[in-house]
Amino acid sequence: MTAQITRGRHDRGSPDAAPQPPAPSRHRLTKIDLKFSPYIFISPFFIIFAIFGAFPLAYTLWVSLRKWDLLGGDGGFVGLDNYSAILKDSWFWNAVYNTFGIFLLATIPQILLALVTAYWLNKKLRARTAFRMGVLVPNVTSVAAVAIVFSQLFGRDFGLINWLIGFVGIDPIDWPAGRYSAWFAVATMVDWRWTGYHALILLAAMQAIPKDLYESASIDGASALRQFWQITVPLLRPTLLFSVIIATIGGLQLFTEPLLFNGSNNAILGGSLRQSQTVAMYLYEQGFTRFNFGYGAAIAWLLFLLIIIVSLANLVLVRRLAGGSKGAEQ
Amino acid sequence: MGATTRRLAAVASVAVLALTGISACGDDEGGDGNVTLTVDVFGQFGYDELYRKFEASHPGVTIKERGTGANLSDYSPKLTQYLATNAGAGDIVAIEEGLLVQYKPQADKFENLLDHGAGDKKANFLDWKWDLGMADGKLMGLGTDVGGLAMCYRQDLFQKAGLPTNRDEVSKLWPTWDAYIATGERFKSAPDNGGASFVDGATNLFEAILKQNGASVGYTFYDKSNKLAVDSNPAVKQSWDTTMKMINAGLSANYQSWTDQWVAGFKQSKFATIACPAWMTGVIQGNAGDGLTGKWDIATVPGGGGNWGGSWLGVPKQGKNKKLAAELAIFLTSPEGQLGGWKAKGTLPSSPQALDDPSVKDATNAYFSGAPTGKIFAAGARNLKPLHYGPKNLAVQDQVLNASRTVEQKQRTPDQAWTQAVADAKKAAA
Amino acid sequence: MSTKVKATKRPWDAGPVTYIALTILALISLFPFYWMIVISTRTNDAIADVPPPLLPGGRFATNVAHLFDNYEAHFAQGLINSAIVSTTVTLSVVFFSSLAGFAFAKLRFAGRNRLLLFIIGTMMVPIQLGLIPQYMLMVKLGWNNELQAVIVPFLVSGFGVFMMRQYADQAVSDELIEAARVDGCSTWRIYWNVVLPALRPAAAVLGLLTFMTTWNEFIWPFVVLNDPGNQTVQLSLRLLGTTYYNDFSLVFAGTAIATLPLLVVFVVFGRQIISGIMEGAVKA
Repeated sequence: MTAQITRGRHDRGSPDAAPQPPAPSRHRLTKIDLKFSPYIFISPFFIIFAIFGAFPLAYTLWVSLRKWDLLGGDGGFVGLDNYSAILKDSWFWNAVYNTFGIFLLATIPQILLALVTAYWLNKKLRARTAFRMGVLVPNVTSVAAVAIVFSQLFGRDFGLINWLIGFVGIDPIDWPAGRYSAWFAVATMVDWRWTGYHALILLAAMQAIPKDLYESASIDGASALRQFWQITVPLLRPTLLFSVIIATIGGLQLFTEPLLFNGSNNAILGGSLRQSQTVAMYLYEQGFTRFNFGYGAAIAWLLFLLIIIVSLANLVLVRRLAGGSKGAEQ
Repeated sequence: MGATTRRLAAVASVAVLALTGISACGDDEGGDGNVTLTVDVFGQFGYDELYRKFEASHPGVTIKERGTGANLSDYSPKLTQYLATNAGAGDIVAIEEGLLVQYKPQADKFENLLDHGAGDKKANFLDWKWDLGMADGKLMGLGTDVGGLAMCYRQDLFQKAGLPTNRDEVSKLWPTWDAYIATGERFKSAPDNGGASFVDGATNLFEAILKQNGASVGYTFYDKSNKLAVDSNPAVKQSWDTTMKMINAGLSANYQSWTDQWVAGFKQSKFATIACPAWMTGVIQGNAGDGLTGKWDIATVPGGGGNWGGSWLGVPKQGKNKKLAAELAIFLTSPEGQLGGWKAKGTLPSSPQALDDPSVKDATNAYFSGAPTGKIFAAGARNLKPLHYGPKNLAVQDQVLNASRTVEQKQRTPDQAWTQAVADAKKAAA
Repeated sequence: MSTKVKATKRPWDAGPVTYIALTILALISLFPFYWMIVISTRTNDAIADVPPPLLPGGRFATNVAHLFDNYEAHFAQGLINSAIVSTTVTLSVVFFSSLAGFAFAKLRFAGRNRLLLFIIGTMMVPIQLGLIPQYMLMVKLGWNNELQAVIVPFLVSGFGVFMMRQYADQAVSDELIEAARVDGCSTWRIYWNVVLPALRPAAAVLGLLTFMTTWNEFIWPFVVLNDPGNQTVQLSLRLLGTTYYNDFSLVFAGTAIATLPLLVVFVVFGRQIISGIMEGAVKA
């Protein structure tokens, strides 16, 4: 992500506060103030981040190289044993498979739908804010609430969705039982919650595209669809990338939705076949139900690695797909 | 901007209200003799009336129960975490038979109840029940109940399906598990069976059969030297095969025990039988609700007897009111306390005195159509033998039960699932 | 099909298709909320009805009363805890972010750009990476099962600092700061009297977003707050959902109540939240 500074909005520059009465000049104090204030101002972030962010990260690495469990305590240095054990662990690979499966099943429709929604929202609309709020409202609910409601909707015996598909002659589906049906249900929760958010982000970028680009294209006889793919999408490239990376970071860490979707028994396993256990859930299972801290910490590092790899892959992919035009930055 | 400020001010004042609200709420554990004791349980212990009694004789004491109805797989990791981090545990915690071994190495996290005057209560318990509560010469837990096995069935559904309804005749229908499955097939093919399946699900049935089969060798997933015996103990495979046979016959209602669907299944009359240790009768009554009073009945279990379940009460050292908690634990496990659990939720006493009490011996249960529960459960209770459980019994069991689920859900064939069960059990035990 | 064909239809003119599509999307967005209301206002048995109930019933108050009576879920405590945690974190994040954002945007000091880049970098690190050592740290501090465990690590936010820096950069003019300096204001006074008021719109958005995120936080509280008596409302929801006397109307009533504060915030501040998200996106 490249940090860019937007064009200033000059109308907001004036402060409300009245100027302070001049204080007696104390030159030395002022000097100290000028020199140290910036550091004091930014120090809270760094202090808290050091203790609760950086230290745990470094410590994860340390722990991952040791045999360590909650009950037995530190069992000593084991080198890369945890890592090599994980790479041979079929439960881990199962979790990786599920995580990617759900991620793809959720992200691709989500971004496409967000793109189309943004396109619609970008039109001259009556009740503009109402529509925008309408698509964003799922994003303000908690994951726990979403998961509870959707688990009921996807219920085997009394779920609304099974009732609805009954009308087109489909037998009730035991959603959590099958791998792909479980993926589908979880992906639906993710998409319901996040599509509107991504649509608004893409909308923001769309609004920055000058309208005369379309006008001249129209004059050249390009259809709306053609304009969408050849003007809009390429110009959205940086924002699309941002969206995809946000979705990647969130998607690969998926935890709460599948956990709650699997109900009350053995939920952390993601079902009888581990059919919807994600890497984050497996990390939790090892760390906090089996209390293998060393093993869990190693999983955490591998998860991080996965996220980096996928984010880089996204970068390449989005460049390719929306490639061609350069002037995407506003 | 002014509007925003005002709104923010409103938000802030709500926050302040919320903050000040807390101090008004106060702490449960107060100074002037007011004490709250928390009891951590799973399933149904039936202690409510006993709590009220204890509260009445101990003014200022309030007792709260947590985890009522929870399943062991949720309960156990939490308890482990509470103990390891010295925070969060109830003043009294229930420990199930399959978990006891797992917590024994941490006996130092529990009060030695001998220090609280439990020493002279030994005669109140079946010998093995008392002995299993000991660790390194300390008394880590006091026994609550034992779990004699029976088979609960829906009289009304049997009648609909044209099967006998009288409990003695029903018992005669299934001397063996094969006969039980054959009865199930009759039930299934009956013109009217109320739309119900015969068995609640694979997981509950498997556990019951396993506890029964295990009795011949005295252990289930772990042998007595704590070596994993999933694939070497014939009792495990036999129980598995019987369960698979039941599934293949199409008798399962497909519920995993202790899930919300299972609970709903009782209310909706989705199955006609369920293997029931004594404590399960309370669970059935709670799940099925008053609307089904007199519809259930109890017959003998196929294959003849077995012990499933039963627990101990321990007092974690981390509690604030250990003395009082120990007193409550002694009270709850006393013959009187065990009788209370029996009356409320059908938990079968582990106290010889309680077993001899007429209110147990001659008990009938109105909810279960007046079934003579004393005769069914209590008569054999003295002969029940404990099974040996290994250190990661629950984790191993979860794997095997999950594998049985995959067959029920038509995700795996029985053979595939068995291979998976063995492999996963080995991994979980590692 | 089309009733009116415009001769010069421009791509940003909305036709009926757009309205229909957006309305359908909005309905899909809203349906789970509606369903939440339907179930939470009925008896538990209603969930098994065929066809399912599609209109709200009249039992909301009863269900809510049951909800608060349920000792195990500690629902009231969960709500109070969530209010404390979210409010504290929000105030703190807004304060520290605006302070640091101001410093990065308007003050000169050695290492400024590198430190800012570092902060942006921290936004990319997934929280779960540190889950286990963070938990171990909390156990060491004796903070597991205490609210500070879910407050203190979140008192600052890299995203917040970055957002406020971007806003301060253009919303506060350098001349104004210089003028205040000439008047003899200390840097702190400049922040408090000049910068903070100018940052108010952005601070409000940051506050709203932080409040919602904190209120909805699940995994870290799930790990560190094990004592059912002292959890946040999201964990109370899970407890409700997984206790075995599963009463859907009660669970859904809890879900509705836990969602309500956010819906109110969203309805009142929707415009600001939307612009916050959209501006944040353009800047990032």
